[in-house]
Amino acid sequence: MQMVDEKYGSAAQIMALPAAKLVAILEDPSASVYARAKACQQLAVTGDRSAVRPLAALLGDAQLSHYARFALEPNPDPSAGDALRAALGKVSGKLRVGVINSIGVRRDVKALDVLAALLRDEDAEIAQAASSAIARIRPRV
Amino acid sequence: MPSQQKSLTRRGLLKTAASAPLAPMIVPASALGLGATPPSDRVTLGGLGIGSRGTRVLESFLKQGDVQFLAICDVRNERREAIKSMADQKNGNRDCAMYSDQQELWARKDIDAVLIATGDRWHAPLSVLTAAAGKDVYCEKPCSMTIAESRALADTFLRLGRVYQAGTQRRNGTNFIRAYDLAHSGKIGKLHTIHAEAGPGNRWPPATSHAWLPAEPEPPKQLVDWDRWLGPSPWRPYHSEYVRGKWRGYFDFHGGGILEWGAHTVDLCHWAAHLDSTAPVEFEPRGMGGDTPYSIECRYANGMKLVIRDSGFMGLGSCHFRLEGDAGFVETADSGRIGVPEKLRSEIADVPQEEARESTTHHVRDFVNCVKSRKQPRANALAAAQTHITCHAAYIAFQLGRKLRFDPATDTFTGDEQANRMRSRAMREPWRI
Repeated sequence: MQMVDEKYGSAAQIMALPAAKLVAILEDPSASVYARAKACQQLAVTGDRSAVRPLAALLGDAQLSHYARFALEPNPDPSAGDALRAALGKVSGKLRVGVINSIGVRRDVKALDVLAALLRDEDAEIAQAASSAIARIRPRV
Repeated sequence: MPSQQKSLTRRGLLKTAASAPLAPMIVPASALGLGATPPSDRVTLGGLGIGSRGTRVLESFLKQGDVQFLAICDVRNERREAIKSMADQKNGNRDCAMYSDQQELWARKDIDAVLIATGDRWHAPLSVLTAAAGKDVYCEKPCSMTIAESRALADTFLRLGRVYQAGTQRRNGTNFIRAYDLAHSGKIGKLHTIHAEAGPGNRWPPATSHAWLPAEPEPPKQLVDWDRWLGPSPWRPYHSEYVRGKWRGYFDFHGGGILEWGAHTVDLCHWAAHLDSTAPVEFEPRGMGGDTPYSIECRYANGMKLVIRDSGFMGLGSCHFRLEGDAGFVETADSGRIGVPEKLRSEIADVPQEEARESTTHHVRDFVNCVKSRKQPRANALAAAQTHITCHAAYIAFQLGRKLRFDPATDTFTGDEQANRMRSRAMREPWRI
């Protein structure tokens, strides 16, 4: 009864692929939302620097932005932090809130200045997210 | 969670912080229908997401003469109506309020405590936000989806001084308490190994699935608010089975069988072995599920050994736990019967066998007492967090199929990047914890 992707198969089959093939799914313009979502979830554990650029490209996608963050948030490569910071100027609304939340989880000190500026954002949800992220990033004395 | 945080104004937060260590508010007697119980001795309750298990817990709350249920919040209209009917019948009026947005329930200043019995995906975020709204929490288990959520849960309740009781009612079950007492009487000698059942494997096996069910048309929002049902979980297309309760077994909504059962049995082991503030330093998976019995052998810094396994117990019902000392053992489970070596039979001759439902009533009573006294109940937030961290870490070892070393002081795995990446999951926007 479970969904099966015509091109890439079941969730289990997709998630058994090595990271390079998962990155290829993200870069395949014909890949379904399902295949890309499952690729992101596996890349959360196995993705390296090479996964960051195709994941960053999904941060503005309403259906896949969260899946991209799902993979970027735990990625230890510094380029994942760079990608999230860069996305702050490209995405808006709820997706921007999500990006701010991920920056907070990563405790990215390089984002403190831009987050401080967002404290006075006209969108209260953005301002609250920035406030929460700063509180999380700043080390306790 | 912007919209949810909107009402947490500076004034509200200051009030929350200032009132945190105090007893619940006094409700005017005219507002309640509890006859003989003085208003200052009553606890007012609300509910978030109450399905079948939640209904049984609510029944235990409604048995308490000093608890009044005032409001239900659920994304499912059918559940709102059912719980309102149940509460109104008990209260003898038609006043139980119904909400689909938790913000409205949190805004009720006349509610002291909240029963949270949603799906697991919502447990930790709702618990944290409910505490921030100045209310105490009784939350069904499993209480978190990740190690990170578990720690955030404990930190929040400890910092705010709010009362939290995890729905791990066996800590207040008569037979489990007798097993605890026997283990600490010296009659089984020095405790060295504790065993937690996490099975049977045919019901919530350890492994979870990443599959999606095929899409069905989304119902109108007033009947089922699918976006709110998903909450912090990854988006997937609507299917009625999830909403009807068949969401367990899916990675996005469920932590797998080790957490499902271990939330009770590992919890009992931690309680009995006085491990409520720590976690193991080693997790070693043996066997990989399916038809092969599996186990996770865990070792604590003090030398205690925990074995999480799905078979080999004495057949005393579900949720076995066994305490082994160097002079004997004691084992019990949901039948209420207690297994001991022949020489200890006389020690358990007078233990009443009560229904598992009774332990829930004892557990609810423990919570209500603590809401009033501001003491911490038996399954408080720290104890729950350490149990859940242990179960999550055990499942991570199971998924990776390798021995892991863990630092309980920092909640990190030592020398294993993949394991560390599995300690948290990004929440769907706009949610955060």
